[in-house]
Amino acid sequence: MTHPVLEAQLDAYLDGELTADDARELEAHLVQCPDCAGFRDERIALRAAIAAHVPALQASDALRQRVRAALRVAGGTRSRRRIAAPVVWRSLALAASLAVVAVGSWRLALQRAAGGALTDQVLASHVRSLMPGHLTDVVSSDQHTVKPWFNGKLDFSPPVYDFSGRGFPLVGGRLDYLNGRPVAALVYGRRQHLINVFLWPAVQGPAGGPPAATRQGYHLLHWTTREYAYWVVSDLGISELRDFAALLARGDSAAATPAR
Amino acid sequence: MESNELERFEAIMLPHMDAAYTLAHYLTRNDHDAEDVVQEAYLRALKYFDGFRGAAGGESRSWLLAIVRNTAHTWRHQHRADTLATEFDEELHSETVAHVHPETTLLREAARASLRHAIDGLPREFREVIVLRELEGLSYKEISDVVGVPVGTVMSRLSRARRRLQEALRSEQQER
Repeated sequence: MTHPVLEAQLDAYLDGELTADDARELEAHLVQCPDCAGFRDERIALRAAIAAHVPALQASDALRQRVRAALRVAGGTRSRRRIAAPVVWRSLALAASLAVVAVGSWRLALQRAAGGALTDQVLASHVRSLMPGHLTDVVSSDQHTVKPWFNGKLDFSPPVYDFSGRGFPLVGGRLDYLNGRPVAALVYGRRQHLINVFLWPAVQGPAGGPPAATRQGYHLLHWTTREYAYWVVSDLGISELRDFAALLARGDSAAATPAR
Repeated sequence: MESNELERFEAIMLPHMDAAYTLAHYLTRNDHDAEDVVQEAYLRALKYFDGFRGAAGGESRSWLLAIVRNTAHTWRHQHRADTLATEFDEELHSETVAHVHPETTLLREAARASLRHAIDGLPREFREVIVLRELEGLSYKEISDVVGVPVGTVMSRLSRARRRLQEALRSEQQER
């Protein structure tokens, strides 16, 4: 058999890849040509031998499991990568606040020496709370979860409100230590900003600090009701922070009178 | 990737794992390498799955097998030289080696080992078309998609590959 073109055609014929016209033509040739007919038989034998002796293989169960596991990991990586932008953004923000901590605490030390100690403490607490894992001891947007959490941890039961209807959702609460005593810290959110509310039972005497202050880009508001000393700290704009403080004061005066 | 996207990928591609493993096995001629190639190929396929627009069935199989083939290619370059087969040369390997007498009693018992040996000894370009056609049952068009050559080249390579197999088997039988 020395007709390479015919040879390839015959293979294509046996593979069922020839057009009907070409196939008919080839069949007519095979009838008259013993060489080509013999060649065809040989090829058929080769096919049969391959089919019989060269098996298609099966992937082992171990391989299947391995591949599936790898896909799960890779698929998970991909989904994490999809939301990577905000994560990176958040860690940048975190790095920024850590830088503030570094610079801030140094300045705080200077200012403490000059006075306004409580204001500085409040600010330091706020900044510290922004460090990873320090923000909340109890995470809940439900005031009925946060308020009871303080039971047994403080000698008072702080009023807790959720202002999510007003755009200041409750994030959670934690214990803190200010002015020589344990205090309640409530955390509220406003878009990407966080607000710390520190409060503890009011004591008679001079006010603990100025009603408003701005330190290192943070705004601090302070007031005292008949029952509580309040401090509110955030990097939120001062007018929005005042709105929030007003909400808090109204909620307190409306709810706190009958029962603490 | 959404988890249902991963599930869609798995539903379409995992049924082809036997085909993927078979091709990888005959390309690498090594079980261990074949498994590594299959895993790597599936990961690549997942990565490029966005670019796959076909439905289930033959098209997805060709798509995956093309990735398996390319992965095995890269693997060979990265991990070991393909020492068994000579470099492929379309012209060189196209030559008719000898005029041989037709023989229908060519293959009998013990053909299994010699046939597999003969396939392993083929240049990769011949081996892959034989595996894709004879073991995986792909059409010439599908093979053309997997290998990335025109259908006419698939046709001639297949024919040459078969001739070489027959020659190899014949010479082995004569040695016996």
